Amino acid sequence: MTSPILLEAIGVEKYYDKFAALGGVDLKVRANTVHSVIGPNGAGKTTLFHMLTGTKSVSGGRILFDGHDVTHEPDHRRVQRGMARSFQVTSLFLSLPVRENLRLAAQGVAPAKAFNCWHEPIGARACADTVERVLDKLGLSSLAITPAGNLSHGQQRRLEVGMALAAHPKAIFLDEPTSGMGVDDLDAMKRLILSLRDEHTVVLIEHNMDIVMDISDTVTVMQQGRILAEGLPHAIRSDDRVRAAYLGNMITGGKA
Amino acid sequence: MNIYLLQTVNGIGIGMLYFLLAVGLSIVFGLLRFVNFAHGAFYLLGAYLCYQMMQWGTSFWLTLTLAPLVVGAIGWLTEKLMLRHVYDKAHEFHIVITVGLALAVQELVIVQWGALGTSVPVPDVLQGVVIWGSFIYPKYRLFVIGFTAVLALLLWWVLEGTRLGSAVRAGSESTEMVSLLGINVFRIFSLVFALGAATAALAGVLAAPIRGAEPFMGVEALGVAFVVVVVGGMGSFGGALLGGLLIGVVQSVMSTLWPEGARLMIYIAMAAVLLLLPNGLLGRKE
Amino acid sequence: MKRHLHFLLALAVVLLMPAFMQSGSLASEVLIYALAAMGCNLLLGFTGLLSFGQGVFFGLGSYTIALTLTRWPLPMPLALLLAMLMGALGAAVVGWVAIRQKGTYFVMLTLAFAQMFYFIAYTATGITGGDNGLLDIPRPSIVVLGHTLWSLASPWQFYGFVAVAFLLAFWLLQKVSRSTFGRTLLAVRDNEERAGAIGYNLKLLKLQAFVISGAVTGLAGALHAMMTGIAPLSNAEYHTSEMILVMTVIGGAGNLFASVLGSAFYVLMADWLSTLWPRWLLLLGLVLMAVSLWMQRGLWGLGDSAWRALRSKLEKQHD
Repeated sequence: MTSPILLEAIGVEKYYDKFAALGGVDLKVRANTVHSVIGPNGAGKTTLFHMLTGTKSVSGGRILFDGHDVTHEPDHRRVQRGMARSFQVTSLFLSLPVRENLRLAAQGVAPAKAFNCWHEPIGARACADTVERVLDKLGLSSLAITPAGNLSHGQQRRLEVGMALAAHPKAIFLDEPTSGMGVDDLDAMKRLILSLRDEHTVVLIEHNMDIVMDISDTVTVMQQGRILAEGLPHAIRSDDRVRAAYLGNMITGGKA
Repeated sequence: MNIYLLQTVNGIGIGMLYFLLAVGLSIVFGLLRFVNFAHGAFYLLGAYLCYQMMQWGTSFWLTLTLAPLVVGAIGWLTEKLMLRHVYDKAHEFHIVITVGLALAVQELVIVQWGALGTSVPVPDVLQGVVIWGSFIYPKYRLFVIGFTAVLALLLWWVLEGTRLGSAVRAGSESTEMVSLLGINVFRIFSLVFALGAATAALAGVLAAPIRGAEPFMGVEALGVAFVVVVVGGMGSFGGALLGGLLIGVVQSVMSTLWPEGARLMIYIAMAAVLLLLPNGLLGRKE
Repeated sequence: MKRHLHFLLALAVVLLMPAFMQSGSLASEVLIYALAAMGCNLLLGFTGLLSFGQGVFFGLGSYTIALTLTRWPLPMPLALLLAMLMGALGAAVVGWVAIRQKGTYFVMLTLAFAQMFYFIAYTATGITGGDNGLLDIPRPSIVVLGHTLWSLASPWQFYGFVAVAFLLAFWLLQKVSRSTFGRTLLAVRDNEERAGAIGYNLKLLKLQAFVISGAVTGLAGALHAMMTGIAPLSNAEYHTSEMILVMTVIGGAGNLFASVLGSAFYVLMADWLSTLWPRWLLLLGLVLMAVSLWMQRGLWGLGDSAWRALRSKLEKQHD
């Protein structure tokens, strides 16, 4: 019993002058799954993310989301459709408190309200319910009024995920959420991502194979701007082509 | 003599001065990502030093050499003692600190030399005109064109042919890489800033016999320098040259056709470039 | 109490100036430039946009009030509103174009616009009076149903009017700065890229900031013209834009009352020092350098730090 396809990339290409960052990528992401994208550095994973979320525009191909062709829509439009992303390099509002960061992210789905020059954002106008729930899920409630710049790296990475969550997205894109994290934080992040699956669809770029193998429903492997292989975690782990791409010694770990 | 020919030659002369004025600003921006609102002040100092030294009876040639060196040293000190501390602050403070400096310099000039401005005599050797058939032209202006052309070649050689120049060009791409290569980035910053100040001062020295020395010429020069740098491309040597000549010639020719419009035109050109070709004619693609 | 602190401080300034100052015109000038600095602060301190175009909006306000009180007469309150509208319109045009670029290129664009407007004002002598400006601007009394409610003839009477306009504008701008819009601007200033990525239309937000800034600055320009009786070319000059920016930075970016401090500092220093020493601008230059190096939060920041230091000292004494 498979769930419907929520996000689809068809023949997506991206060229920077003559350099083909993506040379025709096809991808299908099913609703309420955790879909991981892995591959060696330079494979085009982040570029693919940028295409899917609208951060940058495609050179060719199409992107369908929830039945709509969003290929030419800018990122802020796609946010309203239900796509939200976290950043590989933490990009928070460092001078603003954690709660305000989340409020801004939650408000982002109804950006027209941001033009309101009269009313203060309190109560319902501040999406208070959503913010409190996300704070709780992230385990950051006690740090709500701390400026984001004062958080530890691990806490900032969790807040990064929270920023995407606060937008009530249908699809949440996490770009190396565990990058730079220590062992203690890793577990918390793993549990957080797993907890997202029920209400959201998660598309994940990760280098940490422990997490990828443990929590993914589908794994897509990229190499040099193209899809190399796709399938269930254990199948990918024993795939010869994938081993060759990674020189055979990076896909260890995981319980599957 | 044909008025358009005359104005074109005038334009080339002014354009070369504009190039000299703007090249420092452009390179400083390319390397330090710093917009120096005090750049006009260095030009101002150059002009007044020229006036003062000639008053003391120093030869023009010595003035031409010493004044830029003095102002270059001032620039070096400014970067090292003051500006360096603002790099990590919000970008408005880069602008504000140099605006403050420009203001202070302008007022000091007025304190020292008065608010009215003076004329600066053309050096004896270069007085008079040159006559080639129907082409009659002031010797001094021809000298300016020739001298700045030689200087342009010299600067180009420094940028392309020397280690310092390579470091500067590399640094414009990435200061991180340059410091990883073991080159003392900060020393280069000071040197480049000093070079920028010196070239602006040199432009001031050369311009003084033509336009005189007047306390508000720094503000005017800054405006023109910005236009040239934007049109030519921030960070580009060739851009400063092309931009300078273009603006100089356009201004000169326009002054016969539509005098008031001349200045308006160059700012329209600036806006147009910023909108359509933000990196200018020869600037790097960001 | 804390919520209203800034407004009360502004009110205090308004009430104290007549008590301590001789010249009603000077007091009016402080409030007028405070308005302009607040408009600039909305762009710089809240949105992170350094605009050299404030002189354009100030000049538009001056010219509009001049024309609507002399040549094409309108009732004064309506004329003021029109001046604000012209300021807003000018800001919409400048903003719409300048926003297309970011960082240094944005700053350069506003500079270019300031210069262009100056030359248009210089050459359109039919409308702006060119180099002479527009003269003999009256100060009509406030008349309702034939009865003169409030004459604005004397400097202090006019000050009263300016004070009311200022306090109203201050209150409104405070509302804006605390609103969802104001808070979103702070996010844009902090991390523009992220703000765009989470769904906000940066261009429109910045444009709205420009429009509000233009309206406030236009109001300031109009009041200035009424105070001096002339709408000079210098109001549209680069120097005006620079002066307004200087006041904003010296006062402290990101805080409305700080702009009042900045304006008061500049106007009063200019008035006081220029009689002592004509080269007082040298001191101003030095102050600017000092602020950039050591006091980025401006005069407000200085006061705030001093207050905190005092408080912790008092607390220590308590123990």
